[in-house]
Amino acid sequence: MRVSLFATCLGDQFFAEACADAVRLLRQLGVDVDVPKGQTCCGQPAYNAGRRADAVSMAQYTLGVLRDTDYVVLPSGSCAGMIRCFYPGLVGAEADAARALAARTFELSQFVVEVLGVARLGDGLRGRRIAYHHSCHALRELGVREAPVSLLAGCGAEVVEWKAAEECCGFGGLFSAKLPEVSAAMADHKLDTLPEIDLVTSTDGGCLLQLGGRAAKRRTGPPFRHLASVLWDGAREASRA
Amino acid sequence: MSGHGTPGGYRQQSAETIRDRPQTRQSVLSGTDRANDHRDHAYADIDSDRWRDWGRDVKTHALTHLDRYLEEAERSLEASGVRVHWAETAADALTVLRGIVREHDVKSVVKAKSMLTEELGVNEHLERLAVHVRETDLGEYIVQLLGEPPSHIVAPVMHLSLDDCRRLFHERLGTPLDGDPETLVAAAREALREEFLAADLGISGGNFLVAETGTVALIENEGNIRLSTSLPRVYVAFVGIEKIVPRFEDLAGFIQLTTRAATGQAIGNYVSFIQGPRTDDEVDGPEEMHVVLVDNGRTGLLADDTAWEALRCVRCGACLNICPVYRQTGGHAYGWTYSGPIGAIIAPGLLGLEKSMPLPYASSLCGACADVCPVRIPIPELLVHWRERAVDAGLTSKVEGIGLAAFAAAAAHPTLYGAGAALLRLAPWQSAGRALPVLGGWMQERTAPEPSPKNFRALWRDGIE
Amino acid sequence: MSARERILERVRDALREREPGEHPGAFEGWRPSSSPSPGNPIDLLASMLESAGAEVVRLPTEKAATSWIRTLTTEFASVTIGVTVPRALHPPISTRGSHEAELGVSMARAAIAETGSLLMDARDGRRSQLLAPTHVVIVRAENVHETFLEALRSVRDDLPSAIGLHSGPSKSADIAQTLVTGVHGPGRLIAVVIGVGS
Repeated sequence: MRVSLFATCLGDQFFAEACADAVRLLRQLGVDVDVPKGQTCCGQPAYNAGRRADAVSMAQYTLGVLRDTDYVVLPSGSCAGMIRCFYPGLVGAEADAARALAARTFELSQFVVEVLGVARLGDGLRGRRIAYHHSCHALRELGVREAPVSLLAGCGAEVVEWKAAEECCGFGGLFSAKLPEVSAAMADHKLDTLPEIDLVTSTDGGCLLQLGGRAAKRRTGPPFRHLASVLWDGAREASRA
Repeated sequence: MSGHGTPGGYRQQSAETIRDRPQTRQSVLSGTDRANDHRDHAYADIDSDRWRDWGRDVKTHALTHLDRYLEEAERSLEASGVRVHWAETAADALTVLRGIVREHDVKSVVKAKSMLTEELGVNEHLERLAVHVRETDLGEYIVQLLGEPPSHIVAPVMHLSLDDCRRLFHERLGTPLDGDPETLVAAAREALREEFLAADLGISGGNFLVAETGTVALIENEGNIRLSTSLPRVYVAFVGIEKIVPRFEDLAGFIQLTTRAATGQAIGNYVSFIQGPRTDDEVDGPEEMHVVLVDNGRTGLLADDTAWEALRCVRCGACLNICPVYRQTGGHAYGWTYSGPIGAIIAPGLLGLEKSMPLPYASSLCGACADVCPVRIPIPELLVHWRERAVDAGLTSKVEGIGLAAFAAAAAHPTLYGAGAALLRLAPWQSAGRALPVLGGWMQERTAPEPSPKNFRALWRDGIE
Repeated sequence: MSARERILERVRDALREREPGEHPGAFEGWRPSSSPSPGNPIDLLASMLESAGAEVVRLPTEKAATSWIRTLTTEFASVTIGVTVPRALHPPISTRGSHEAELGVSMARAAIAETGSLLMDARDGRRSQLLAPTHVVIVRAENVHETFLEALRSVRDDLPSAIGLHSGPSKSADIAQTLVTGVHGPGRLIAVVIGVGS
């Protein structure tokens, strides 16, 4: 089985090691991984800002980059959501190709559970107390709710109850920079309601930058780690067995 | 409209609330937490998907046949002896009101809670006419005493604490400073009772207007709407043209759906279905009734092929309660009658896009609102629609536009993209970042993100073990 | 052109290219298949009203109701009585204006079990339904409908100037989300259902 990884703009620049962990994880699960050349950004920031023409050109470009793929996997719920939910409406004449791409595009944990049918990766998270932050787009655009949590628990982690787990962290792309005070208050509400935990994880780099950056400014907070890296921690023990 | 900020002041108003009034934020967070729990339970008890599909479909049918149903409503109302007025603008609606006030030499008015009358500026207008107007809904009464607008569509004083209310009631009604809510309410009941009995005119809005029977439907918990619409000799209902529903029996669905979404109750404690003034065989009730059908920008919204879906709104407030942006400040920060997600999508239609900015951007597009809307308005889609219009109209930041266009261009040219990324690593973010546009906003509240030592494409090129 | 014409014209223009939607039909109050069946409508009505803070009394006959009312009203000095309340059910205490009476007695035209609501008709008199602090509402068991839809259909062809659905004592949670009763309407609501065993 051949999987093409789309690292995403944030993944490529700020979560490179997490993307590498995604590659390692997929290989361990018996999958061949390639990284289509020329990949850049899915276009979500432009789309959300109302810059439709820019979003269209980025979608058309990315559609081309991902043309020759069997499966596309992203370490990001929001970017996977962009491709699945919005590309068909953006690329005009190529809508059919976009729909076909959407049907074979997945967020990482979604792919592991729904396509590979894997529930347990290993024992590497035994004894860890983890808070899982649901990225809005993973939750509402992709419908990814159970997969990440079940994989974490399947690695032995205790995924804690967190009333604010499904609330937006306040990233929203450019929103975080244009309305920084409200965005920070949203992050604060998440941080202020966290129970005692070893780390916070999420499918989305943007959310981790937002929560991690705010926690660091407040000189507080647990470690924030990308789900791809946490799951690789959980799985890698198995590879040594 | 009030003198309490404008949509254009949203950033400043929201920042001030967060920085200077932490109590407001706490009150709103806990008030909305409670409202969300209630709504969650109320939706879980029913097949909420089917109820919401039904609500969406009836409203869609009504709106796509609106001219026919408006004419039918007018006929039904007139057949029951109601005087029907059509108001294109807020000024026209107020002119109608002035006519009624003069015709009946009105000295005092009791008012039921109505967001439309806030939108039109009814209270200010009556005050200019030297007419005493009293808000009778407890929360509206409180904000009236404070001289503030309500901060939430359904719960006008969600932003106030018990102590805020105690201080106010102590000053104005003489209750003890440590009075419990029962004591405060008893004082309000007594004060307002006199007003109900003495008023010349009652004013309400309308949750729904039934075309088939001319019924004005109103939902409440306190009883002040039944009193305001029953005791005075003259009664006026202001109803937005989008509030039309086709059939009397449609109320069975809408009353229950709206109440569950708003407060989690199975039904509002008092529901009024008003068909007209008192009939000859009735012993009491208003002798004269007027309905003012108000446009005030609604036909403009109806004409927009995307945004017209916002007209399905039943004003339940569920989107406000779930909105993580609204929850940090409450409604005043939005500077307009309607706040939260619904405010952001109707403002461009009712106020015009320029006056509405930046409300369509006062959202992280998280989508929680669409998950709870009882009539399935696709709010995030409408927010992106208004953002596209704002970009086309040149209402957004030039700097941001240039930056995004450059980014988009680079994104189609991987070599250029790679060069840009390399520059990213060289720039002195931590020290100079604050001075930059856009990034400065980020750094005001967060530490700058550290780029990975090597980007992923480099890691891949070098081989991943 | 009048304002009316201009508004209707703008509506028609707006809808010219709009795809019309069909009315989906009557609202059927769909519940999850796992929810318990409602059981006896009177039981459901009583449980909904009681959860909302009202009191419910069930009496087999009008005669039993007369006797019950007599007992209750020894606590009150004055009453205001709705015009459609049968003579036999008038409390034997002095009547007063609706704004002064301690007790109001009304005859409901119908009731709705699924929402716990008493359907009041303006022809009974609105003031006596609203002003006294304690409110007794009488309804006959045969007028208790299981659903809101049925109740609306039963009154649709004979509508008074106003119908009021009362589903509990007057209440508000506006002040610090604390529930308080007796805000403007009656703070005590007693529903008397005639025609059932108690």
